[in-house]
Amino acid sequence: MVDISIIDHIMPKQKLSPLPSAAFQILLALVGEDLHGYGIMRNVAQQTEGRMRLGPGTLYSSIRALLEEELIEEVDHPRAPSVKDERRRYYHLTSSGRKLARSEAERLADLLRVARAKNILRGDYV
Amino acid sequence: MSEKIFRLVLHLYPSRFRQEYGDEALQLFRDRARDETGVWPSVRLWFDLLTDLVISLPREYGHTRFDVAGASAKACLDGTPTFFVFDTASPGRRPLLLGGLLSLITLVSFPTLMNEFGNFRPPSGWSFASPGTYQRQSGEPQRPASGSKQGVQSPRGADLTLDATSRHRIIASAIASIKQHHIDPLEAERAADALLAHERQGDDDSATSTEEFTRLATNQMREATGDRQLELLYSQRAIPERPSGPLPALPTAYRDEMRRVNCAFERVEVLPHNVGYLKLNAFPDTSVCQAAATAAMAKLNDADALIFDLRDNRGGFPSMVSLIAAYLFDHPEYMYCPLENTTAESWTHSPVPGNKLANKPVYILTSHRTISAAEEFTYDLKMLKRATIVGETTAGANHAANLHAIGDNFYVATVEVRAINPYSKHNWNDTGVEPDVEASPPDAINVALKLVGENLHVK
Repeated sequence: MVDISIIDHIMPKQKLSPLPSAAFQILLALVGEDLHGYGIMRNVAQQTEGRMRLGPGTLYSSIRALLEEELIEEVDHPRAPSVKDERRRYYHLTSSGRKLARSEAERLADLLRVARAKNILRGDYV
Repeated sequence: MSEKIFRLVLHLYPSRFRQEYGDEALQLFRDRARDETGVWPSVRLWFDLLTDLVISLPREYGHTRFDVAGASAKACLDGTPTFFVFDTASPGRRPLLLGGLLSLITLVSFPTLMNEFGNFRPPSGWSFASPGTYQRQSGEPQRPASGSKQGVQSPRGADLTLDATSRHRIIASAIASIKQHHIDPLEAERAADALLAHERQGDDDSATSTEEFTRLATNQMREATGDRQLELLYSQRAIPERPSGPLPALPTAYRDEMRRVNCAFERVEVLPHNVGYLKLNAFPDTSVCQAAATAAMAKLNDADALIFDLRDNRGGFPSMVSLIAAYLFDHPEYMYCPLENTTAESWTHSPVPGNKLANKPVYILTSHRTISAAEEFTYDLKMLKRATIVGETTAGANHAANLHAIGDNFYVATVEVRAINPYSKHNWNDTGVEPDVEASPPDAINVALKLVGENLHVK
């Protein structure tokens, strides 16, 4: 059997380029507030108007990848509303995470500009 | 019971994932199960979990394999060949049995579930759009196949062959729907007669595809009634109907987004020669953005002329159209809106106290992207001769029709409000609003500024 610490040490990081949609949504959910897993899932569902409901597998594998890339970090939540909440892990957006979210948003905005210029958004507006 | 099942499901993940996130995943399941009670939310919860399982499980094992490959290479470098396994322990009999059982259940139930959920219609209230807004229904797919030139046929739909029996069934259902929902019983009768007469004469016999048939039937109804919003459509994906009754609350995401983008008021400034310039990219809901609109108009209050830049305006709410238009009149003015019945609220609340813009020349910049509520603003001010339109013909979409399912994935679009159009029978739908002065979108601002200069200079 392999010593797990060896694996951790030499483990290649999960790639985040291009940034998967779930990871981008998680970064956006963490803008402005530290959240635990369920809080992130709810925020993502809210900001996508229910179109994306992250299941535990996708959510935590994305969180692990984001932690590995130091785009988010685990934090102690100082004001956990209950003892149960104190046991939860809270996640915080790092400055690199914020920077990556901004550049991804800019990339999408550029794409949107191209799509608008090509008039494929006819009737599709908010 | 549900939690026990989920615990078993978790055993399908690699042990490393379980060690790191097993407790949190279980907590997430408990939280959702606690908050999402009832039949539909429970079904949705399990559907989400199974979908997530199918998507994330291969990725997790793929990730694990990758790790071991790395570890192996490192160990070999040390000179001691070593065999590795994917996990720190062999899978037991129970996980293997459970995995086999779940795979079998998934294989058997997947086609059935897809069949059910592919045509599932979410409960009313899920759809954000509702009568009184120009916004599309959130679940609405791309424009379905129809009689209009915008029709897009779904690949499966293209293969669907219609025979005389199915055409007759669709025509009967369409007639029933039109008679039930159309605002004008006489027009509904004329559309029904036309559909039946053409069917009897064998005009539909060659229409064996959904695309041909919807185009043909739509043209027959429009020819008979002159109602260019009446339409037969086909969509492979289910389209939720607009909920009736009061408007559902605006999603928090919409409010947050509007605050972030200053309610779509992209630029509000006074240009040289005291020309007020307002670049507005949407007509947001007044319950969220009234203050932003009031502030924008107050900033331009002393301008000698106004330019509304709607070249990138993607529509919105009639209430905001009326609110901004109120500044342009010294008396209440009727704003025709095809989405709402004509009532006392169809008039602007003019004059606005302290407003100095009621008699100032107004220019509206348009492009072929200017759409929906932005077209209402442009159309009404053009018809009232209150603004000069500079730019391109607008997109030509008013989103006033409601879609009603009539079975077999066919829908009938009917307008169900009685809005008085004092200018003509037809509004801008399909045709768009034509400019008074044509200009390419990049040039429109310079053309408008030139016109402003000439106008002010003459005065």
